[in-house]
Amino acid sequence: MSPSFARARRKEMLLAYALLLPSLVFLAIFTYWPILRSVWFSLHDVLLGDPDIYWLGAENYLRLLDDRLFWKVLGNTAFYTLTTIPLSIAVALLLAVALDSKLRGMAIYRSAFFYPVMIPSVAAGMVWVFLYAPGYGPINEALTTLGLPRLDWLYDSQWALPAIVIMSIWKYSGYFMLILLAALKLVPSDLYEAARLDGVSGWHRLLHITIPLVSPTLYFVIIIGTLHSYQIFDYVYVMTQGGPADSTNVLTFYIYQNGFQYQDIGYASALANALLVFVLGLIGLVALTLGRKVHYLGER
Amino acid sequence: MTDVIQTAAMPDTATARRPRWRKQLRENGLHLIMLPLALLWLSPLIWILITSLKTNAEVFDQAAGFWPDKLNFSNYPSTLSVAPFGTYLINSVIVTTTILAGQLITITLAAYAFARLTFPGKNLLFTLFLLQVMFPIYAIFLTNFVTLREMGLINTIPAMIVPFVASGYGTFMLRQSFRQVPSELSDAARLDGCGHMSILWHVYLPLVKPTLIAFGIISVVTHWNDYMWPLLVTNSESIRTLPIGLGLLAKADSGADWPRLMAGTTIVVSPLLLLFVIFQRRFIDSFMHTGVK
Repeated sequence: MSPSFARARRKEMLLAYALLLPSLVFLAIFTYWPILRSVWFSLHDVLLGDPDIYWLGAENYLRLLDDRLFWKVLGNTAFYTLTTIPLSIAVALLLAVALDSKLRGMAIYRSAFFYPVMIPSVAAGMVWVFLYAPGYGPINEALTTLGLPRLDWLYDSQWALPAIVIMSIWKYSGYFMLILLAALKLVPSDLYEAARLDGVSGWHRLLHITIPLVSPTLYFVIIIGTLHSYQIFDYVYVMTQGGPADSTNVLTFYIYQNGFQYQDIGYASALANALLVFVLGLIGLVALTLGRKVHYLGER
Repeated sequence: MTDVIQTAAMPDTATARRPRWRKQLRENGLHLIMLPLALLWLSPLIWILITSLKTNAEVFDQAAGFWPDKLNFSNYPSTLSVAPFGTYLINSVIVTTTILAGQLITITLAAYAFARLTFPGKNLLFTLFLLQVMFPIYAIFLTNFVTLREMGLINTIPAMIVPFVASGYGTFMLRQSFRQVPSELSDAARLDGCGHMSILWHVYLPLVKPTLIAFGIISVVTHWNDYMWPLLVTNSESIRTLPIGLGLLAKADSGADWPRLMAGTTIVVSPLLLLFVIFQRRFIDSFMHTGVK
């Protein structure tokens, strides 16, 4: 290697690190350090605003295993994630397929399904509190009109979490629909034509042509959906405060309760680490099961 | 006339073989399903607007119809008098634009390094950047709160900004775009004696404008609407943002004065919805193509 070439490479390397530095400073302070620190906190007895810290070892984690509320909260979190994501993606896919067939008024439909993404979570949550109101809420009025029984929705521990799931489908389907629409546009239309001429029914076309061809995007949408599901904190905070009887208490909210209301940073950190393991596990599971089945157009 | 439009709109080969009325029937059938669905999706927004024009008595009166007896605009001045929405609006603008400006600087520099420079540890560092996508503020808010408290930043405007200045997602998006710029362009500029920074500024940035706009729109929507983090780090009225102000109003009212609350909601959701209606194509394109590349 000639000395001038080596010097050029050294210069390029220094420039690269200089360009990364601004990002790395912020990432280090607000992403990496918090993760390391929350592991450290979880092994100690830490109270918010109290400078004294005591070593506890694994005690916070043992307490977590014994905490019945923790298991309930974990179950609620899993229920929310595992219903909201498949349901809103299924709705999104059907909407996208319907709109992809060159329907007239397509732009208007698209915006009608997409606009909830623009609405702040706190506003969305509040409006749905009104819509779900047992006495005068429009949803119960509609149920009565249809001859169905009225429900207590957010005041009923059976229905409160499903009510938040329904709201989330309304909030996020439009976003997933847009991403899927972009993917559908790339599917060559002669594939559909060939199948149609061979007499393949619409349902089979969806199952055997559309879904395999947009599978990389579906996979991407599932990951995005998993990350978006953190936002349930906002809805729980605005709509139910975890109630009734902790039926809508989820991990992010339980961390908040322990850390901010009970000021128990040590235990809340153990919970936060459990949340990270839960999300990473979920994403890992998706990558291992669906990631392998994903079909890329033009491959092979 | 109709013939011309029909054939222009549907160039598929199947139209020739299938009777046109079947195609028509299929499309009308689809409208029959989609139209009610679209109305269902729009109904929460319609309820916000209608309720904001009712009187409180009408909301609780089950005999009262869907429409208000007469349009009652007094809920709007009433909302504005109980909560300082003007201050909230200014704070929202400051927070959102500062985050965006900071992000545009950090992601442009980092994305260029990842797309066009070679250096040891590149893959490891890139993975570390992507890690941030997995750990949004919702997952690590607790320790970030403690850190900001130690820095003495709690209940300040910067507290709402600093955790978001670096963006792994934005860096990833922009790196993909930079890599699509033909390297002949930058090689030519290099031969003309341009340094990396001037190539980045004069060659790369103008070419990736669509990506910058797309990222900007997504960032603005995200942070304009952000609720949890500003809620945790602020406790005085003078620095709160619009969503927090709305949440406070809801708490104070606790469902007792829906028309006033819905007037407040209308005020809070309007800025973004109006921008969305005006720049519909840009918004749709931005969110649409986040998934494809």
